Amino acid sequence: MTADVMIQASDLSKRFGSVRALDKVSFEVKKGEVVGFLGPNGAGKSTTMRILTCFLAPTSGTAKVRGVDVFDDPLEVRRNLGYLPQRAPLYTDMVVRDYLKFVADVRGLDAAAFRKALESIIEVCGLAQALDKDISALSHGFRQRVGLGQALLHNPQILVLDEPTADLDPNEKAEVIRYIKEIGKDRTVLLSTHNLSEVEDACARAIIVSKGKVVADGPLEEIRAKTGSVRYVVTVDEKLGLAGKSAPKVAELRQALDAIKGALRSRELPTDEKVHKVELTGAKDSDLRAEIFQLMVAQGWLMLELRRDAQSLDAVFRDLTRGDEALDRGHALEEDAAGDEDDEQSDEDDEQSDEDEDDEESSDDSDADDEASDETAEKKDA
Amino acid sequence: MNTLLTIARREFRAYFDSPLAYVVICLSLFVLGLLVFMYQGGYWQIDRATLQPLFEWVPAGLAILVVPVVTMRLMAEERRSGTIEMLITLPVKDSDVIMGKYLGALGLVLTVVLASLAYPIMMFKFPWNLGPLDMGPVLSGYVGLLLYSAAAVAVGLLVSSLSESQAVSFFITFMVLGAFWFSGNVADQMQGTFANVLHYVSFQSRMTGFMRGLIDTRDVVFFLSITVLALVVSFRALERRKWA
Repeated sequence: MTADVMIQASDLSKRFGSVRALDKVSFEVKKGEVVGFLGPNGAGKSTTMRILTCFLAPTSGTAKVRGVDVFDDPLEVRRNLGYLPQRAPLYTDMVVRDYLKFVADVRGLDAAAFRKALESIIEVCGLAQALDKDISALSHGFRQRVGLGQALLHNPQILVLDEPTADLDPNEKAEVIRYIKEIGKDRTVLLSTHNLSEVEDACARAIIVSKGKVVADGPLEEIRAKTGSVRYVVTVDEKLGLAGKSAPKVAELRQALDAIKGALRSRELPTDEKVHKVELTGAKDSDLRAEIFQLMVAQGWLMLELRRDAQSLDAVFRDLTRGDEALDRGHALEEDAAGDEDDEQSDEDDEQSDEDEDDEESSDDSDADDEASDETAEKKDA
Repeated sequence: MNTLLTIARREFRAYFDSPLAYVVICLSLFVLGLLVFMYQGGYWQIDRATLQPLFEWVPAGLAILVVPVVTMRLMAEERRSGTIEMLITLPVKDSDVIMGKYLGALGLVLTVVLASLAYPIMMFKFPWNLGPLDMGPVLSGYVGLLLYSAAAVAVGLLVSSLSESQAVSFFITFMVLGAFWFSGNVADQMQGTFANVLHYVSFQSRMTGFMRGLIDTRDVVFFLSITVLALVVSFRALERRKWA
């Protein structure tokens, strides 16, 4: 292990009863990196962070922070870290200043060091006007800032932030991201979120986890290029056809679109208008717009809109975490909440993501895999 | 040690940042006064310069209301609101968290106990002088109260560590301490081994010696054992989060 590896996780696994929250998660974060830790709710982001901060112990595997194993010396690990848990749980009965003083005392800062640290975090986190207020009276955005502030008090080289922007309004979000960028200039930051635009704003590298496994890890550009598909959104009138021909049913439309050469799958998008809106996924680097248009003309269907989506990180995320998305919708946030159903299906999905991992390099193969995995996803949906 | 005291201080202060501490102290003193002086003739009926009624009522009061109210939030609220994660991921030992919280809560309970000293002082020293007070039983009584509070708070902390709801925590502590207290009364109605066992674990039976001026090492060890046992189990309950 080189000296500049700040966080190292190898083969971390964590079980909660029969639920596998983490399954052999391995990654490294180097000095000075700001890394986005992405994944749907319940994918194991918080669990990983809790292991890194020695709140939980892994079922197997090792985690090291600045070369110190979380089992060997949890106190030393925590001294080196600044951690902001999800939803910034603070003592609401305290005044901000007292709270920060309490954290400083626990961390062993003397009065002079605390004064100095306080000055700097007031500036970095914009806490000046909140300092003498009760925490219970603060908005969520301000609480988040206080949480960030307490993580920075001892000027740690490593910061672990669990969903620092969840539940914030867009302005607050932008602000917190700005603070994180500011903080990340000379520190190592591991930042979890499911909001992808933030990652694009703040991080150069992302690790995507899904169902307790790392499904992608690398610079954003690489991840973006990784999935081999292009999306089209086709909107067709559901009442009128061209020149007296009848309008299609959704199933009919999807069948026809799926039949186009190079199309991978389609799904219906919700809409308020009296139209069918279908999302069609095509193979990488393909352009199906002409074929779609010709299909519409040939069938006499009235196409109102055709759009090709540039490949966004959002889409990549959705692609990589497909199984999760379908299973976890409507489930509670906690990992424990994942039911037994997940377990039954997880074997199937595990194979899938294994393949994804193996094929990180060879993009040609991954197309074929994508197709295969999409089929399984389709079946599940049906 | 330092972090332990920091946590204890924060815990103790938190009681005074909310109305809880004031309500608990004032109401306990008021109710204590009523019981000692008025209930069935109380102090006047005995017609001696003794504080025995005080030591009969303070522990019962502590057991029934004060301790559960003071300890119910200790761990339960931390877990419910998630602040436990914030606290534990600071460089603190799990044992510091448990001991800090324990001392913080014990601090408030002892404040109530010490506040009750106002009674003997006001009755026998200033402003009234109701007669020469036999100091022995008073001192031993307070030693007993101290030990008793230590054990009761530890039990409350344990219950709070095991539950995630303050209400549940309150109710269970209330029942457990009540059972420990009144098992003596129940035993009085019975005979045989079971009655002996009930007598043996009854906080009330254990307190009678202290009230009469007798500091029995068996009673001291009993209360200390309960305290240590409850603290160790609380510590294990906190550690359990790692593996569950």
